[in-house]
Amino acid sequence: MKIAKRVAFPRYAEYNCALKYFVEQGLDATYILQPALTRRTEELGAKYSPDFVCTPFKTVLGSMIEALEAGADTIFMTHGLCRLGYFGELQEQILRDLGYTFDFVNLSEYSTGKKRDWLRAIKRVNPKPNLGKLTLRAWDTIKMAQYLDQVTDFYYQNCGFDATGGQYKQIYQQFISGMYTAASKQDIQVVYQRAMDKFQRVPLDKPARPLRVGIVGELYTVMDPFSNLELEQKLADMGVEIHRWMSITNRLVHYPGENNLNPEIRDLCTYEMGPTSTANIWCAKKYAQQGFDGLIHIKSANCTPEIDIMPVLQNISSDYKIPLLCLTYDSQTSDVGLMTRLEAFYDMIDAKKRVRR
Amino acid sequence: MKQAYLGIDVGSISTKGVIIDDDNQILSSSYIWTEGDPIGAVKRLLRLLEQDFPKDTYTVMGTGATGSARKLVGTIVGATIVKNEITAHAVGTTTFYPNVRTILEIGGQDSKIILVENGVAVDYAMNTLCAAGTGAFLSSQAKRLGMEVEEIGDYALRSQHPTPIAARCTVFAESDLVHKIQMGHPREDIIAGVCRAVVANYLNNVGKGKKILSPVVFQGGVSKNAGVVAAFEDALGCKVLVDKNGHLMGALGAAILARRSKVRKAFDFAVEDLEFHTREATCGRCPNNCEIICVYQGSRLIDAWGNRCEQGAVTPE
Amino acid sequence: MTASTPATIGLPRALLYYRYGPLWRTFFQSLGLKTVVSPPTSRKILDQGTALAQDETCLSAKIFLGHVQELVGTCDYILIPRISNFGRWRNMCTRFEGLYDATRNVFRGSGQEFLSYNVDVLQELEEEAAFLTLGQSLGFPPKEVKKAYAAAKKQEQQVWKAKLRAQDQLYRAQGLKILLVGHSYILDDPFVGKVIIDALKQSNVTPIRADIVDRNAALKASPKLSPTCKWEYSRELVGSIALHRDQVDGIILLSAFPCGPDAMVNELLVRRLKGIPVLNMVLDGQSGTAGVETRLESFVDIIRFKEGSL
Repeated sequence: MKIAKRVAFPRYAEYNCALKYFVEQGLDATYILQPALTRRTEELGAKYSPDFVCTPFKTVLGSMIEALEAGADTIFMTHGLCRLGYFGELQEQILRDLGYTFDFVNLSEYSTGKKRDWLRAIKRVNPKPNLGKLTLRAWDTIKMAQYLDQVTDFYYQNCGFDATGGQYKQIYQQFISGMYTAASKQDIQVVYQRAMDKFQRVPLDKPARPLRVGIVGELYTVMDPFSNLELEQKLADMGVEIHRWMSITNRLVHYPGENNLNPEIRDLCTYEMGPTSTANIWCAKKYAQQGFDGLIHIKSANCTPEIDIMPVLQNISSDYKIPLLCLTYDSQTSDVGLMTRLEAFYDMIDAKKRVRR
Repeated sequence: MKQAYLGIDVGSISTKGVIIDDDNQILSSSYIWTEGDPIGAVKRLLRLLEQDFPKDTYTVMGTGATGSARKLVGTIVGATIVKNEITAHAVGTTTFYPNVRTILEIGGQDSKIILVENGVAVDYAMNTLCAAGTGAFLSSQAKRLGMEVEEIGDYALRSQHPTPIAARCTVFAESDLVHKIQMGHPREDIIAGVCRAVVANYLNNVGKGKKILSPVVFQGGVSKNAGVVAAFEDALGCKVLVDKNGHLMGALGAAILARRSKVRKAFDFAVEDLEFHTREATCGRCPNNCEIICVYQGSRLIDAWGNRCEQGAVTPE
Repeated sequence: MTASTPATIGLPRALLYYRYGPLWRTFFQSLGLKTVVSPPTSRKILDQGTALAQDETCLSAKIFLGHVQELVGTCDYILIPRISNFGRWRNMCTRFEGLYDATRNVFRGSGQEFLSYNVDVLQELEEEAAFLTLGQSLGFPPKEVKKAYAAAKKQEQQVWKAKLRAQDQLYRAQGLKILLVGHSYILDDPFVGKVIIDALKQSNVTPIRADIVDRNAALKASPKLSPTCKWEYSRELVGSIALHRDQVDGIILLSAFPCGPDAMVNELLVRRLKGIPVLNMVLDGQSGTAGVETRLESFVDIIRFKEGSL
């Protein structure tokens, strides 16, 4: 039975297709997909946010407002291990002070990790969920997110060498829109398979040893192309193979865990320094050991855990002699400023590689 | 006819240009203020460059553009290469100082540090959020003290006891400066303090985590300020080299890059008499509302940029 | 290192020192070790911390690095605990999780050795166990370490109870009373919070510190004002406000630029605290005292004006 609720989540990279699938197929509610993130979103969010919160707080708030404008009556917000875990409460307060009426499901209130608490959150949307179906659809949702990450990885590693001048991008965009309309497990499988098959048929003009850059950074900004001003696409277009381990499924589903990763970075750090710190330090060290040509660290302004790993990344950079570009994004960061830095970074690693040959 | 190469560096505050020969010798050079009008500045610059340029023996066969207005200027002068200012500075400096290990650069709005090994840039950083370590900060503080920015360098050297000035950010620094003036600190001490603040800020922001090794070359407009040079030497504990052409290094780099590239195209000084203008259009096809810059020569659209997506693409005629 | 050659432990006078000072000093002294504490924060300490810290780091962490620099070379070890949480909904700001490793990476190559203990109750690492490991790593037998910890804990309790008793008196004081809401490492720091406390006293106001409060009662009361606040220190302050707001005439929220948790919690408090004057102040340790005094004076005037005493 269809539920009358109109549910929305804030926009986050392209993960909203998976959330849409779960809400529609698992919870039998209507999913409201607000417009993609734009400058307007960021400006709206910044206008109502306190000054020293990190940029994702502002973008997420803006996206919530755009969801309400698009007709959502129920907004979900995630919990999280850093300040993210407190976003929801403050954002709800700000929206209520602005006069909006809506249901707010703040997962921070249910984040005990127990199944029955998740169920309580779900019942705020659908009081009588079909548990069997819900579980199956939850698995599909995870699968969809995995495919999304897998295809995105593959795309950025190769799109810079597309010999046709645009087919790669087209296939990727078709894949994303396909996932937004997928309504069954089979759909998901077909959209994924079709994209991978098509990719294989595109001729690549890729040198045997292309420039490789490893990207690490803060959970939101590193994955969201709008927030990082399409850094990956810009750099790929210069002819670079982009590697970014950090993605939702790698961090939440395939994460090897603190106990497995820490021994590999013991020389650099003893404890877990923050929610994504161990993974980022481990990744950066791995990229350096594998002879990558450069490292880029991305974070939004005022992100505490990522600020604190910067001394560690600087030590990796000097130990392995790998150039490190640290980028801090705030709502004032401009495309032009980013391009200047990226072009210079490219020139530098390119020249360095030539000298070494 | 021998070949020559033109390099133009248009920054927010100043516009620089050089013409060099195949041995990197400067045939003509000029340095003027941008005054918020990059197109006008480039035309004035070209007129000045043309005056000293030995037209009978040389032809300009390659043109490089750099600086924050590199795209616009590159379009107007028909540049054979357009490069970002970080690379241009690195190339210029390593050509004249092959042993350099660290390049400090402070310009009007931007500051950067470039680390060099064996003549190749291996690491760099650029200022992130705030202008406190840049020339703009120095100018505004000079103005507050009722002086010209060119005067304050030598004035600072007179000071025996530089006044500590809070340097974290322009706004905080200004309120602290006013406070120190009201408390009666001598002017030369305050000026020396401001120079130190610029250096402290630069090292805390741009220079953070970078190993600054000697030889150190300092350039950009602020390198002309003896007070800042002294403050750098004090803070780093080593000699800081300032080239007499340090302010031209970006333009020199651009000219050298034009020389090195294979592209050859004769440059015509007649550009200075052509009419160029830009128009800003808001795309409006999506809520990004990208500001698109259209460059016209007379009434002909010659280039456009600023769109984030294909929807805002403008095709030149 | 063995117990027979007594080591000197350096304690940076910043951040957690203001909470755990008595515990640390008594613990090491009971084991027969010497402790050395860095001098009170000065301009010099702040400047050297600023030079070492990432630009965007909060003022308190910059001050902390300045204190560590002050101790480098003067002691065998510098103590920097790693504290993650005291259980569910009792987290520390991530800065305290990363502090030990971040500092070690900053001072890599200085030759200085560091000492740590790890409190992470969600991973079943309680404070007592952490101290046991710490003491044993210094070469002391478990029995001796346990005794030292017990003595340290007793001393900590005594100091704390005396503070609480003095605090009770303040709530009963006559005249204008203002609740000062800030982390102890801000309020106790002579370079940061003390300036505010002194300025208030000069205006004939009794400043009362929100951080000195019955911590269990405060933790229990904090969800009334902010249900999903999970940072231990913020919850103590939020709870303290919930418990005492009716006993004071105004509230000053004091934070160090740009404190992560405070930037959010204080914004929420400003939105939720109705019917009592609230001043939200962010200190950066750089600007002169003149601006601060003006803001405090006008806030106090507003309260007096409202109460009809001006």
